[in-house]
Amino acid sequence: MKVDHEKRDHPRWIPKATILAINLFLIFHIVAIACWCVPLNLPPILLCRKLVRPYFLWAGLFQAWDMFAPTPWPANSYVEATVIYKDGSRTTWPLPRMEQLSLTDRYFKERYRKFSEVIQIDDNDALWPDVARHIARLNSTPSNPVKTIILIRWYSVIIPRPDGSYQPEPWDRHVLLGYGVRPEDLQ
Amino acid sequence: MRLTLRSLAEAWNRFFFAKQSPLPIALFRIAYGLLVIATLVLLRPDWLAWYGPHSWISLQTMQTAEPGTRINLFTVIPQTDSWINAFFWVFLASAILLSAGLFTRINSVIVFLCLTSIHQRNLYITHGGDTFLRLAGFFLMFAPAGAALSLDRLVRIWRRSNKGTAEQDDVIQPQRPWAQRMIQLQLSLLYFVAFLTKVKSPLWLNRTALYYVYHLDSLRRFPVPAWLLGATTLRWAGWSAIALEFSLGILIWVKDLRYYLLALGLLFHLCLEYSLNISLFQWDVLSGYILFIDPADAARAWNWIKLRLTGRRVEPG
Repeated sequence: MKVDHEKRDHPRWIPKATILAINLFLIFHIVAIACWCVPLNLPPILLCRKLVRPYFLWAGLFQAWDMFAPTPWPANSYVEATVIYKDGSRTTWPLPRMEQLSLTDRYFKERYRKFSEVIQIDDNDALWPDVARHIARLNSTPSNPVKTIILIRWYSVIIPRPDGSYQPEPWDRHVLLGYGVRPEDLQ
Repeated sequence: MRLTLRSLAEAWNRFFFAKQSPLPIALFRIAYGLLVIATLVLLRPDWLAWYGPHSWISLQTMQTAEPGTRINLFTVIPQTDSWINAFFWVFLASAILLSAGLFTRINSVIVFLCLTSIHQRNLYITHGGDTFLRLAGFFLMFAPAGAALSLDRLVRIWRRSNKGTAEQDDVIQPQRPWAQRMIQLQLSLLYFVAFLTKVKSPLWLNRTALYYVYHLDSLRRFPVPAWLLGATTLRWAGWSAIALEFSLGILIWVKDLRYYLLALGLLFHLCLEYSLNISLFQWDVLSGYILFIDPADAARAWNWIKLRLTGRRVEPG
């Protein structure tokens, strides 16, 4: 017994406590992650989600695996801005569009595809002023600052045809935001 | 009942704690590190546009839109271009060291903190592949990822050889795979939840969902033959995708089916990589397949490589 203690560099209970802690860690995370992502809204699952939410948000364990589901994006679309300068001139500034980029650029700029999708959603309207300000900063010059940004969503609805053929529909537009640029926005 | 509980406990212990070769988790660590490096390289030209003080979405807006206390190093570093750039280089250096397996544990922590931070700083540009890397990174921090194929191990061997006790450390020591199992479970859950979400969707059930996906101009990468975009083909492809997601979520745990399903999954993701423009997503997910390689097979492959390279055989342990 004495020899055991001499050989061991930690007390006997530590390995058992470690295994117990790991088991608790595993059980908690398996249950919590399953409840978080399974697309069922049963009361116990909802309660579990509510309980683990602060920890998941903090640790970055939140997740969603709804790839192209339940509904894929139903339209070809993009966002562009009409930029109006102080001198009254105007220009059109589009966010990078994947279909107009080279293969290499598409790899580097792919984040803009996701970002463009996100800012087209009305629920994300809180992001629009930031987007407008950023476009204003990109287009302003000290001699001719940007005065107004109009964010526009262009879209062409995809309509499945019985024979599987595809006919592009006409493009339509929807104004997301008109933003009056303030001098401090350009700092 | 008692017997069942005991057998369940034994199965649990075997699954999470029976020691095995750390080669799969070491290979995954390398792939993971390389994917983080690739992510950073692709983000570099727009790094400040996404994360800088004058970014598309300000830190303040992000915190308002996505409230809650979160691990986000951007909230503690000064919001200047130079600090945000310094963050990039620290992150990149740490990812390189993680791939190489030098100071593996500390670098796995740094990479996870940095990766989580860039996601929290701008959640609106992340895709499922990023999410998988973040989740895998969380569990990788607890894994013996530097126990094989790492500079850490070479350093250990070198130190032992200086002390004249190299023999025992030349063998790759088996490790408890519980953290690896969590990443495996996370990957299978990814597929299973994708399956559940699709089978609840009328568009996927009436088999028109892929029609939309393959007519989105922004998603198109390389040209797909017209006959593959026909109504019938897309319908069957949609159902096949659902069936495969179920299989990779559940049947992947059946040992006899595993390699067949991994091969099908590989083919599936390569087809998506060819046809759809979703940067690195397929590779991020495919990296998790490494963890499903049987450690004995991985050890055999490693021995074969080692034999060819050095003429020495290494026991998997």
